[in-house]
Amino acid sequence: MIFRSLPGGIPMKPYIYAALIAAAAITCQPALAHGSTQPKHGGVVSMSGETLFELVHAPSGVQLYVMDDEDPVNAADMTAQLTIDTAGATRNVVLKSAAGNRFDGPALALKPGAKVGVLVIDKTSQAHIGTTFTIK
Amino acid sequence: MRRLMPVILAALTAGFVTASVNAHAVWFAQRAKQTALIYGVGADDLDTVKRFSLIEKMTGYDANYQPIKATPRIAGPIVLVDTEQQPTLLSVVFFNGIWSRGGNGEFEKKGRDEMPNATLSEKNYKYSVAIMGPLDKPIPPLPDQALQIVPTGPIPKMLGQKLTYKVLYQGKPVAGAKVINDLINDPDAKPLLTGADGTVTMPVRNQGLNVIHAVFNAPTDNPKRYDQIENTATLSFVLEHAPE
Repeated sequence: MIFRSLPGGIPMKPYIYAALIAAAAITCQPALAHGSTQPKHGGVVSMSGETLFELVHAPSGVQLYVMDDEDPVNAADMTAQLTIDTAGATRNVVLKSAAGNRFDGPALALKPGAKVGVLVIDKTSQAHIGTTFTIK
Repeated sequence: MRRLMPVILAALTAGFVTASVNAHAVWFAQRAKQTALIYGVGADDLDTVKRFSLIEKMTGYDANYQPIKATPRIAGPIVLVDTEQQPTLLSVVFFNGIWSRGGNGEFEKKGRDEMPNATLSEKNYKYSVAIMGPLDKPIPPLPDQALQIVPTGPIPKMLGQKLTYKVLYQGKPVAGAKVINDLINDPDAKPLLTGADGTVTMPVRNQGLNVIHAVFNAPTDNPKRYDQIENTATLSFVLEHAPE
């Protein structure tokens, strides 16, 4: 195996070569990113592919924000539904389209361990996209 | 040896033909961010639309394994799955018809009554279950899945970790089912046989989509038309990749 030298004629030892390859791999990763995975409204997030769902559970009600590949969806073009499973009991809550990429629903008593399924349907294409949150 | 070559080639060809018919399966996978039903083997994502009428039943299940409506829908060249709520499981029953193998090793879509000299006639059912959400409890035998693969413990978070699967036939553990752990990327792997308790243990192969595949041949219920009932089952689940 041939190892080239560093600038200045310093011999490149195998472990340096390996480290550079590893560093290159790490620095390449952001190019593959689907975008931000951080909550922007104080909620919890879950990704499904390149779709980000942010669930905000407030005493006044629940809000769902949906981003598609960093772009906010138009909530008016979609339907959204939550399926809440708590200790073996399941109920569905239909959310209302609100401003921008937000959907609103009533206040929910979400206990730790509860699972909240989200299903968003594009009214035109009928595309179904969903995820499931586990409340901590 | 030269005299034997045609025989060897014929045997190999017959083997490949047999394998290709037996190996096809159905499974659920993500396509363009949505859930699709796939018919194929390995990297072959074949024409499920053409086979749409073979989908006998599709069902979703919620977190408590109560059934919810799941509907296959043709969307251009693929078949997507619409559910009325976010499912924890999806299942499908796919009847692939009755096939018979002629003396040339090739299968035709006929029964033994139409091909009395067939070397094998079989009825083919394909089943599939997809894990779509977090599991709180063991997956039960699902009523529409005559052959079903269930994980016996939690799905690992990382590839390479071992997972024990149980293969159920008519809801009960079955010995001798042939199982491979990656129908997509290693379809020709030598199958492991389930033990007396119906289990087999294998490492989870992919940090992505995993499609486990099992085959179990059951006795015929109509010997005039077919010699056996070939049941194939897949279990699909996804290990999440690292945050980007």
